[in-house]
Amino acid sequence: MSNFEFDWSAVFQAVPALVKGAELTVVITFGGLFFGFIIGVTAGWMKLAGNMVSKAVANFYIEAIRGTPFIVQVMFLYFGVPLALGFRIPPLVAAIIALSLNAGAYIAEIVRGAIQSIDRGQTEAGRSIGLTAPQAMRYVIWPQAFRRMLPALGNQFIISLKDTSILVVIGVGELTRTGQEVIAYNFRAFEVWFAVAVIYFVMTFSVAQIIKYMERR
Amino acid sequence: MIEITNLHKAYGELEVLKGIDVRIEAGEVVSVIGPSGSGKSTLLRCINQLEEATSGRIVVNGHDLCARGTNINLVRAEIGMVFQSFNLFPHLTVLENVTLGPRKVRRMPVKAANDVARRVLEKVGLSGKIDAYPSQLSGGQQQRVAIARSLALSPKAILFDEPTSALDPELVGEVLSVMRDLANEGMTMVVVTHEMSFARDVADRVIFMDGGHIVEDGPPKEVFKAPKSPRLKDFLRHVVQH
Repeated sequence: MSNFEFDWSAVFQAVPALVKGAELTVVITFGGLFFGFIIGVTAGWMKLAGNMVSKAVANFYIEAIRGTPFIVQVMFLYFGVPLALGFRIPPLVAAIIALSLNAGAYIAEIVRGAIQSIDRGQTEAGRSIGLTAPQAMRYVIWPQAFRRMLPALGNQFIISLKDTSILVVIGVGELTRTGQEVIAYNFRAFEVWFAVAVIYFVMTFSVAQIIKYMERR
Repeated sequence: MIEITNLHKAYGELEVLKGIDVRIEAGEVVSVIGPSGSGKSTLLRCINQLEEATSGRIVVNGHDLCARGTNINLVRAEIGMVFQSFNLFPHLTVLENVTLGPRKVRRMPVKAANDVARRVLEKVGLSGKIDAYPSQLSGGQQQRVAIARSLALSPKAILFDEPTSALDPELVGEVLSVMRDLANEGMTMVVVTHEMSFARDVADRVIFMDGGHIVEDGPPKEVFKAPKSPRLKDFLRHVVQH
């Protein structure tokens, strides 16, 4: 047995820095999911309603993202792509782009599945009262499909939030990176990683509660 | 009002309608009967282009549905459709279900659309259910809301696709009575139905379909009392037994 003692003061001292890191985690998550949702709806819709070309493009995108690790996507975008482009991408921007592209692929499948799950009779009823196809989508199909997406979107929200920890590899100062930095000068790995875990849990749990509340409405 | 000439409809190899010719005049109530798979529902769905005809001509209210430049959405708004499975919008209240068409298709202001909705809901006996959601209603009430949803657009004709087939037996009556009222007011109606009593008592005309053809077409008295074709005789014998 070691005579390890939990040092609360190490946690208290680390909290301000960790909260700063958590803020950045939240910013990246929201940014990534905002653009990810736009990408996801677009790609999902391309798969549903597009022609052969747009279906192939959407499929390629979704399969490429789903079939490769997020950490590889991040490093490819941050270290690889700039060599081809000839200019660097700031880490935070690269982080948000990577998360958007990653979440977008999964959200595309969520969107497609939810829209396909709405009974054909709903579209027919909408069209039979004279709604145009876009109107039927907007007023009849989308509101029902969106409600069905919520549980899966909530899940994706939580996955993406936790995935931001992978961004340590490109040096974005989010929560995990901040944890590493704090440990680098106080050596209290147990306390600091424990505190980091608690902060992640508080964030994901809050998201889960918000989604639950939205589902009930 | 509705004029169909040499209508064919095929799904790949399967030919469902094999040359249909029929004219339906304004104010007529036409019942379409026949065994399942005879093409009754497909015929109905071709009239408002939920199914696209493979060949032939459909003219509704002077609009040639197959011609380029025909705005199918405006034609659809003039022909109501009532489905077997109601197909109300579950995320909208009764009032919103009924006002969606008037507001988005006819571009009516909310207040005017609400007035129209109240009037048609009263007609189908559901004034008290304006704020309910479809899931809170019985099947019979849902189908009456669906009829009101069609009526709200002041259609020139309403198509009914087996409107009582999904209902519990004790709820069939309330829907048929609403349909009877509409018939008496002179609404043009095409009703695909298994309710022989409705076809016999309310319809001006009965069309018997079998195998993608119209086999008999005439007043209910003739069709039911003096069937000419063996197939209709056979069909009626089976239906009466059940």
